[in-house]
Amino acid sequence: MKHVVMPPSIAITLHGLLSTVWRFSASNPIFAAQTGPSATGRLPSVPSVITGGMVALRQKQNDGKFFQTTKRGEIQELKEELHANDKQKQKDAVKKVIANMTVGKDVSALFADVVNCIQTDNVELKKLVYLYVMNYAKAQPELAILAINTFRKDATDPNPLIRSLAVRTMGCIRLDQVTEYLLEPLRRCCQDHDPYVRKTSAICIPKVYDINPELVDDQGFIEILKDLLGDGNPMVVANAVAGLAEISQTCGRDLLELDKGNIPKLLAALNECNEWGQVFILDALATYEPSGANDAESITERVTARLSHANPAVVLTAIKVILKCMEHTENPEVLRMLAKKLNPPLVTLLSSEPEVQYVALRNIRLIVQKRPGILASDVKMFFCKYNDPIYVKLEKVDIMCMLVSDRNFDQVLLELKEYASGVDVEFVRKSVRSIGRVAVKLERACERAMNVLLELIETKVNYVVQESCVVVKDIFRKYPSRYEQVLSALCESMEALDEPEAKASMIWILGEYAGRIDNADELLESFLDTFHDEPLMVQMQLLTAIVKLFLQKPSSTQDMVSKVLQCATEESTNHDLRDRGYIYWRLLATNPEATKRVVLGDKPSIRDDSQYIDKNLLERLSSELSLMSSVYHKYADEFVTRLTLTGAGEDKAAAEDDLDEEDRQASRRAAQEELERGPGVRNGADVGGGLDLLDLGGVGDDSPSRASASAQKVQVLPATQAGQHGQQGFAVSAAFVRQRGTANLLMTFSNQSSGPLSGFAIQVNKNSFGFAPKEALVCPDILPGSSADVCVPMAAGQLPSNTPPASPLLLQVAIKTSLDIFYFHVQFDLSTVLLEDAALSRDEFTPIWQRVGEGGQKVTMINLDRPLDAETLKGRLQAENICYVAQRQLDDGSVLLYTSAQTVNNCSVLSEVTVSGASRQVKVAIRTEAAVLIPLYEAMLSKKLAG
Amino acid sequence: NHLQQGIWIPHCICAMISQFYILSLRGDTIITRDFRGDVVKGTAEIFFRKVKFWHGDAPPIFNLDGVTYVFIKKNGLYFVATTCHNIPPAAVVELLTKMAKVFKDFCGVLNEESIRKNFVLVYELLDEMVDYGYPQTTNTEHLKSCIHNEAVVIEAPKTGLNLPQWNPRTVPSNAVHRPVGPTQNDSKSKKNEIFVDILERISVLMSSNGFVINSSIDGSIQMKSYLMGNPELKLALNEDIMVKNMDLGGSHGGYGSVILDDCNFHECVDLQDFSDLRTLSFYPPDGEFAVMNYRITGDFRVPFRIFPFAEQQAPYKIEITIKVRADIPEQNYGGNVQIYCMLPKTSASVSTELAVSAGQSAEYLASEHRLVWNIKKFQGGTEAAIKCRVTLSAPISNIQNIKKEVGPVSLTYEIPMYNVSNLQVRYLRIAERHKSYNPCRWVRYVTQSSSYVCRF
Repeated sequence: MKHVVMPPSIAITLHGLLSTVWRFSASNPIFAAQTGPSATGRLPSVPSVITGGMVALRQKQNDGKFFQTTKRGEIQELKEELHANDKQKQKDAVKKVIANMTVGKDVSALFADVVNCIQTDNVELKKLVYLYVMNYAKAQPELAILAINTFRKDATDPNPLIRSLAVRTMGCIRLDQVTEYLLEPLRRCCQDHDPYVRKTSAICIPKVYDINPELVDDQGFIEILKDLLGDGNPMVVANAVAGLAEISQTCGRDLLELDKGNIPKLLAALNECNEWGQVFILDALATYEPSGANDAESITERVTARLSHANPAVVLTAIKVILKCMEHTENPEVLRMLAKKLNPPLVTLLSSEPEVQYVALRNIRLIVQKRPGILASDVKMFFCKYNDPIYVKLEKVDIMCMLVSDRNFDQVLLELKEYASGVDVEFVRKSVRSIGRVAVKLERACERAMNVLLELIETKVNYVVQESCVVVKDIFRKYPSRYEQVLSALCESMEALDEPEAKASMIWILGEYAGRIDNADELLESFLDTFHDEPLMVQMQLLTAIVKLFLQKPSSTQDMVSKVLQCATEESTNHDLRDRGYIYWRLLATNPEATKRVVLGDKPSIRDDSQYIDKNLLERLSSELSLMSSVYHKYADEFVTRLTLTGAGEDKAAAEDDLDEEDRQASRRAAQEELERGPGVRNGADVGGGLDLLDLGGVGDDSPSRASASAQKVQVLPATQAGQHGQQGFAVSAAFVRQRGTANLLMTFSNQSSGPLSGFAIQVNKNSFGFAPKEALVCPDILPGSSADVCVPMAAGQLPSNTPPASPLLLQVAIKTSLDIFYFHVQFDLSTVLLEDAALSRDEFTPIWQRVGEGGQKVTMINLDRPLDAETLKGRLQAENICYVAQRQLDDGSVLLYTSAQTVNNCSVLSEVTVSGASRQVKVAIRTEAAVLIPLYEAMLSKKLAG
Repeated sequence: NHLQQGIWIPHCICAMISQFYILSLRGDTIITRDFRGDVVKGTAEIFFRKVKFWHGDAPPIFNLDGVTYVFIKKNGLYFVATTCHNIPPAAVVELLTKMAKVFKDFCGVLNEESIRKNFVLVYELLDEMVDYGYPQTTNTEHLKSCIHNEAVVIEAPKTGLNLPQWNPRTVPSNAVHRPVGPTQNDSKSKKNEIFVDILERISVLMSSNGFVINSSIDGSIQMKSYLMGNPELKLALNEDIMVKNMDLGGSHGGYGSVILDDCNFHECVDLQDFSDLRTLSFYPPDGEFAVMNYRITGDFRVPFRIFPFAEQQAPYKIEITIKVRADIPEQNYGGNVQIYCMLPKTSASVSTELAVSAGQSAEYLASEHRLVWNIKKFQGGTEAAIKCRVTLSAPISNIQNIKKEVGPVSLTYEIPMYNVSNLQVRYLRIAERHKSYNPCRWVRYVTQSSSYVCRF
């Protein structure tokens, strides 16, 4: 784990504001102890400073106290009350303190006074003090130790409530010192005769593990927790299961070790424990691989009763267990019975509150795709109610499309038509699209769907028409040369189209049916005038459509085709468009007949799988049914930001890299398929970007060796510039770059004076990163008219200037020669100070990313020399020591790259680079705790990526 | 790669919630508790900003910078949980719901004031309900034994329900705003009583000719117990009740029997006698709880039938007539019936005419293009009708086109002392009865509309 610790001097320069605090802290030992972490940029908490006062209190005070500050008065008053002899008064005072604490006021100054009240027989008061201690122990570790003896004493109290309270609270104080004292009472309480104490102790073990895993391992607490699995009290068992599952996940070992031996114990506890315990036990059961059909059936039998539990989480988890067991059953009769049993509880979940409905619907999507028989006859249950929230409606419509069949498409289409005449624009659009999906999915439904669409187009509601247009194109693509009666209606409403996707679809239809639309040429020509104003997607389609038109009606469209080819090849700046234009041009010039076969040939059929989840992901998600990942439909690693132990973390990262490679292949395949489909079924990916005709973006990969190749030196000292003593005739070109892990100052000295030069020496001025020559400058004598190349390796952190780096980065250099002393400065990029192989792991990345947050983020657009795919870009960034951390594919096909870069003085700069298809721009979001680096980072990127 | 080494790490719940807070609708943090310390600080503000500016309704679960937010909205308060782990969201939603219920049980009423006044109690409850993010118990009865703070009672706000006073013997159970735990003014003798509600929410979708396209009942038997000594209770339902998903013995119901598609029970319910005697036995926990939830989708008599007509009278004029018939017994009535109908966007002026004007009113909300028709008391077996003349700002060619812009008609209502499913409580008994022990039992039936729509 790399901490972002900077040398103090740099910290002062980078956080100018902090410097005063720093100096103050040095003279104040108590303060210094707390200031440690502030190197990361956090301000130390200042005790006894309270923001905001209470007006009411101020009014109460008499005139004499007028000049006393209210804040101070309040704390003082509370202090006195805390030491009162009257227990009731004491209790009220503690309550007041806690009231202040909860509204965010700092009352940590009262720590000693509050802890003073801890030795009491009054449980209510004790609980209050514990609450306070938990909250402030971190800020006052020395004082927290004072409370420990009381904790330890309470852990042996005759009252079980107090015993467990002590263990619970000690576990929540996340201090190593406290943890040590906790071990012995915790061990004892795990064997306590009272189940309430045992259950609290069971959940305390993962708490301690989180603070100090070695301690838990060494002290045998894992074994103790395993023993608790066999406890007689179901709640103790449930907490032991939860605790072991959590530790397993952190340490990367399966500690639950479910087998035929302990499964009956869990099943027995399942029947007796409360709903929450049932959730944990069922969830653990779902990870158990039954040994065979009999084993699976016996588990199912015990779990089926949970399906009629009122808690939706119990029901969903039980369903997960049953689905898991179904994988081990081959008897079709049993499978059919089980599937039938799952229908009613799933539908019942839809009668819960909308929040639960949402979770259920997201899970149902997975279940329906995994086991298509389930819910097949219940499509009606997914019809939207008018008072459903929008997020529920959108999910329901998707499930309707998944469940639609030859038996129910009439009903479904009728519903969708109703929704499409509603008021919520988003929902209306979704409904129109869904009509298209039904048509593409079921040939028999197509006729009916077309009629519905025709009715919708006739309503002339703008967004309905646009959406219908896109949908009709998909249907034409799937069922060519049918339903042409729609053409005229579409052509009539062409004026209304202003969204790129709808326009592109309409143009595609015009091109495809050019032979059957009399005035297709006129209609297409109307778009041609504004060719350069159109988005790329429309331009691409227009180009193809006009070529198609020309092939069908060559006589009248000669001018048009040459105009569009000219627009695409000579006037456009877009590579894809130009490439496509050239291909058509050459095809047409070489062999028009062959062109016909290529352009007008049959296209492969399309299929709608936009709502279906990739098979690997589906397998994983169905084993994680009822968990968060089943709602997001994403691998847990993509949103879980848990800190794992290094060893396991690396393993995980390796496994994820494999996955990433698969993802990349999948995305390449998808691009290929898209190409074959033509502008057919869209999955939202082609918004804003055209198709990559020959996947040119992926070819011509840049080798990532740019930086280490010879750097471009620029002239930094012309021969005409005089030195310190007015002498001229010495010229220098230089570059300051990073090569093989060292920052090298590369210089070419040329002697344009009359005599030979010798006696070279170098000095650099103080600079932000503290660069200084590692070794002396070695340069042979230079004869007049000749030149010499030198390389001076530089070390960072030697000559700090204690000023933050400015943009551009400059290194001021002085070269002493026999002629004179010459001064110049060399401009360099941030990449010179970026360390090799300093990639942060995901686990290190996330906390920093979150800490900086959106507030500290800078978003910038970088223009590329040409469109790059994520892989190439990754290589180019790596060449600048901007290391790849993770990547994520978005629904719209663009890829998010997460990168980290680390400077020689241990400042991290994180970024999120959005690469979308054929775009010549990438979006970069930069987050760093050293904000001064942002402009430098930006400048470097735009320089290096623009080529 | 540990998968290749054959080490299998189960993908199961590996933590639960990290932080919990209660926010007011203005975004003030009223209660905040960090259980695990693994999520950054300041998420309350991030959450509030995100939800406040969400386009439309924010989904109850969303992820922002690696932090997952789960929330519910209840009584003008946000109950929010955050986490950075792969946890079961349904459990979190349910946990938040149960927490809200527990707070209500202990504080008497649930609103901003009661939470603020009882914050110490709320923190105490929180620590008993959740430990290290893992839910421990949300059972009011169990919690009572380990809670020491007393509730500060807040005066219950007057509910907006302006139902006429029906049977004085029945008191709506949600009108009982009394904390379950000890209170500061506990001197008043505790009443020994129990409230039972059979609540049914009806969803119906009708076509314009009165044909029912889709219909369902979501029913629930709600109970709130203030019985002393927490005795075992027996609750008997209709003898001929059937559940499609269960193999129940006993008489197989013939005509008129109640058939449930599915049902579920509170965890305290013992189902031993359910299959033979259709009797549920349980020790009622303190506070409010649902003994049983059920669902019916089969044919049932819908309580209101709607017959809408639209007629064109001139190019600029249409007349819309809506007739509603109450298909419920004559002694029952629908209270607070409201009928809404969307009118064309081109409506310029609208005049309404009611068949009966006593206790009814109608108005046209021009900004929403919506007709609202109120009927205070809609007696069973009667009909009500409204005529609505609409002048349009643009002419229409034929009535089919305008029909697309009219409707749907939706209905909201509440029918006291009637339930559509005919599910009945045959008796509610205390298992071992002593002479001296004679609690008050309040049983009532209520039918409410959920989504009650008729398309034009």
